[in-house]
Amino acid sequence: MKIDVRHIAKLAKLRIPDEKLGQMEKELSSIVAMVEKLPELTGSTNLLDPNNTMELRKDEIVPSMPREDILKNAPKAAAGCFIVPKTVE
Amino acid sequence: MKELHQYSATELSALLREEKVSATEIAKASLARIAAVEPTVDAYLTVTEEKALANAAAIDAKIAAGEELGALAGIPIAIKDNICTKNVKTTCASKMLGDFVPPYEATVMERLNKAGVVLTGKVNMDEFAMGGSCENSFFKATKNPWDPTRVPGGSSGGSAAAVAACEVPFSLGSDTGGSVRCPASFCGIVGLKPTYGAVSRYGVVAFASSLDQIGPMARTVDDVELLFSTICGRDPRDATSHQYTYEKAARDLKGLRVGLPKEYFGEGITAEVKAAVLKGVKQLEALGASVVEISLPSTDYALSAYYIISSAEASSNLARYDGVKYGYSGRRDAGLDELYLTSRSEGFGPEVQRRIMLGTYVLSSGYYDAYYKRAKRLQQMIAAEFTEAFTKCDIIATPVTPTTAFKLGERCADPVQMYAGDICTVTVNIAGLPGLAMPCGYDAGGLPIGMQLIGPKFSENRLIAVAKSYETAVGGFAVKEM
Amino acid sequence: MSNKYEVVIGLEVHAELNTKTKIFCSCENRFGAGVNSLCCPVCMAMPGTLPTLNEQVVEKAIKMGHALGCKINGTTKQDRKHYFYPDLTKAYQISQFDVPLCEDGHLDILVGDELRTIGITRIHIEEDAGKLIHDDGRDDTLCDYNRCGVPLIEIVSEPDLRSAEEAKAYLETITTILLYLGVSDAKMQEGSVRCDVNVSLRPVGAKEFGTRCEMKNVNSFGAVYRAICYEAERQEKVLDAGGVINQETRRWDDPKGESILMRSKEDAQDYRYFPDPDLLTFIVSDERIAALKAMVPELPTARTLRYVSDYQLSRDDASLLSLNKARADFFDSCVELGGCEPKLISNWIIGDIAKLLNERRIEIADTALTPEHLVGMVKLISNGTISNTAAKTVLEEIIEKDIEPETVVKEKGLAQINDSSALEAVVDKVLAANEKAIADYKSGKTNVLGFLVGQCMRESKGQGNPNTLRDMVTGAIEKL
Repeated sequence: MKIDVRHIAKLAKLRIPDEKLGQMEKELSSIVAMVEKLPELTGSTNLLDPNNTMELRKDEIVPSMPREDILKNAPKAAAGCFIVPKTVE
Repeated sequence: MKELHQYSATELSALLREEKVSATEIAKASLARIAAVEPTVDAYLTVTEEKALANAAAIDAKIAAGEELGALAGIPIAIKDNICTKNVKTTCASKMLGDFVPPYEATVMERLNKAGVVLTGKVNMDEFAMGGSCENSFFKATKNPWDPTRVPGGSSGGSAAAVAACEVPFSLGSDTGGSVRCPASFCGIVGLKPTYGAVSRYGVVAFASSLDQIGPMARTVDDVELLFSTICGRDPRDATSHQYTYEKAARDLKGLRVGLPKEYFGEGITAEVKAAVLKGVKQLEALGASVVEISLPSTDYALSAYYIISSAEASSNLARYDGVKYGYSGRRDAGLDELYLTSRSEGFGPEVQRRIMLGTYVLSSGYYDAYYKRAKRLQQMIAAEFTEAFTKCDIIATPVTPTTAFKLGERCADPVQMYAGDICTVTVNIAGLPGLAMPCGYDAGGLPIGMQLIGPKFSENRLIAVAKSYETAVGGFAVKEM
Repeated sequence: MSNKYEVVIGLEVHAELNTKTKIFCSCENRFGAGVNSLCCPVCMAMPGTLPTLNEQVVEKAIKMGHALGCKINGTTKQDRKHYFYPDLTKAYQISQFDVPLCEDGHLDILVGDELRTIGITRIHIEEDAGKLIHDDGRDDTLCDYNRCGVPLIEIVSEPDLRSAEEAKAYLETITTILLYLGVSDAKMQEGSVRCDVNVSLRPVGAKEFGTRCEMKNVNSFGAVYRAICYEAERQEKVLDAGGVINQETRRWDDPKGESILMRSKEDAQDYRYFPDPDLLTFIVSDERIAALKAMVPELPTARTLRYVSDYQLSRDDASLLSLNKARADFFDSCVELGGCEPKLISNWIIGDIAKLLNERRIEIADTALTPEHLVGMVKLISNGTISNTAAKTVLEEIIEKDIEPETVVKEKGLAQINDSSALEAVVDKVLAANEKAIADYKSGKTNVLGFLVGQCMRESKGQGNPNTLRDMVTGAIEKL
């Protein structure tokens, strides 16, 4: 089966150079071939797991992190905000 | 005479409490050893010398003041670079997080700090923990202390090499499909992959959330136990963590039933590895255990299920690296999409991109049911087979890796061959079970061979008791002189 | 729009829940704080951080589910919905996919005099995204993540709405219920309730649905109405010209009064939903679900209908009264005390009391007013102790402080004077000062009577019984 590498790359926001498309397709195909050995199975379709559940958190406020720490690793920041190229509305 | 850096954590702790040695001396010995062997081993990405000495001095001050000491007071530790350390760079061995300094501490780090541990630094790994050789690091390849032309295994290669080279007595790694056990095996040390949910994942940079677990690595079973008992237990910040406290188990192997699954001794496993593991099992029999043959028929599918689930989760977990909030940021002068594309394509290495692509593919419209849902159901089947097996035996013994440590660069060209190396370890993650790797022999070239012990959920104490009995019986595990 | 087509509408309403903390971390959930001041490593999606689900989000959503007659899925999970946008820190939104917390419900709405039942497909819980700020002085975009992780419920209706009026009434009823349940501040102007509208047309009588278009960013009751009218007309024009409607997503620009194409079906997003592995299945017990159901009060539509049938209030008055739960509760308490006409109580609540509350921007609970005092005041009017005019003075007092209306009447000397002998001086004085009015009256302009009685009321400082005064004035003029 042919894998639409370009489409997958678009979804994943990765840029695969044209000359590497073929190689990527080959690699993905060989992994997919390995994966396609899986047997058909039936069973629940919603993936709920009632035997393994979690506790919910109490609605109690914990102080937030100071803004300078939030922004510390920001590649670009101004006016207390993270900066991105202009988004078109 | 034994030098300070060669002592185990348990021994160092006793020496410190008897005031035969100071925390500063221990830290200096560790730092000196790092300086001496790093040019060969290349385990560290960041050495936190100043912090280590300051922490050691604080412990010494506590001792002088007669204050109570934490369980790991003054013991040097190396931490895999995917575990967030507050104000200490945490790179995941990726260009993407090359400058990332977390403003928060992972839960395990909080617990270790409370116990008084002395962080010596952050160690190398495969980028985002994806790989089995430590060669996928953006920064450098770590070498196997037993033979520096060979890989230390992965992804926690730095954690294993630092311990095997006596740079620290113990370290933390993380294990998603064998990443603690494989390098432990290649480097001839002990590594534990705990039950899923036994150790908090808060602050561990996620690869595959439903499979990731932090695991302790050390040269002795006691040290693994000491480290594990310090970090395990429920964390309100990790919804998948369990209420759990570690209790030591009896170290008597009489009546212990050891299961040998035939699927783990088939083709692909080298004769030397098979022989060493079976010899190890004989040793357990000599200690009073009995052997039962068991079958885990879905093992053949485990690798596929593993790669679907782990890649799907990885593609999702790694979507947040977009060049906006932290990490590597690409081109900003050509619009938002260009920022995304350049940040991600330039920030992630080839193996990470390959897994993101695979994960995106298996989750994409039209394929989700065929791949992801099928893999999840297979996961339930594999887990059920283990549960069934544990009605017939108490622990399962298998090889850890099909071969011993391979040459640097040997498998880089073929991802599928690299993935096949995970065949013996991934089932344990898929089923959420604990698995312990310990040395059980050497190949003709003198490279260590590992044996894996698998138990039911939350039977870490049993695995540790068996490993301790074995270690005692064989007179301890060898340390490579460097 | 012509009557050739029937318009078919479905609404997706997003409402922010008023929990103390965000849905997946313990940061405060508050509107209007300084940029990026309500953030932590979890809502910032910093590496290694993990979500934990807020129990109150689940409970508040279940309450809404009960209010809309839904089946509650007590065993459910969270799923990840993936898309890249700078307002979404993780590049996926934690939402619910195939097992929503609530499903298969319905909502009764009043549209004019008609009672309509609208199907509710599902209600699920999810997280809000951050806010992007476009500053005219900058050539880039600023990201503020305070709103990132604020809990939302998404309420999805069946395509059961048939006009812009119905859609508006539906949205109004939803927001009223949110306020009734106390689960959301439901302030559309602050963006705490937002709406996506699906619109399609079909020839009158047709069974098949037409192709629908989704409009995003419809954020006020008025905008819902305008957006639907605009879209129905746009589609009608296309169909009349022999064209076909393309399934697409459009963005409503309310100031401009038009919608703009955002993306067509071909660009439909592939969200790659899968269960969030950081959050396990969770179970809300049957007992807890039942307890939450018991907390759901009588809802506004039922209340309106009850007021009309039990107390003969007009439909408009009953609706107005039911709109505000606190005021309607107050009304019910007054009626329960008995001794006066419900209609009179209602008039005071939706009239003078509402005016006072609006002027002061407060709610009835913020005042000293009690049902006992209001009923007491109305009784004083009915039994002729005070006039309506004096009652307004009494009301201002009993809203300010906890004081019996009788005491106010006594202290302020507001008791109505019914004894004509005590009012003679007043009438004489007014008539003496208004010769022209008397002449007008005599020449047949009897409507000046009201003016004269009003003057007498003023002269008596509101205490004179207006009926008594009226009789006295007419009698006195005739005698002149």
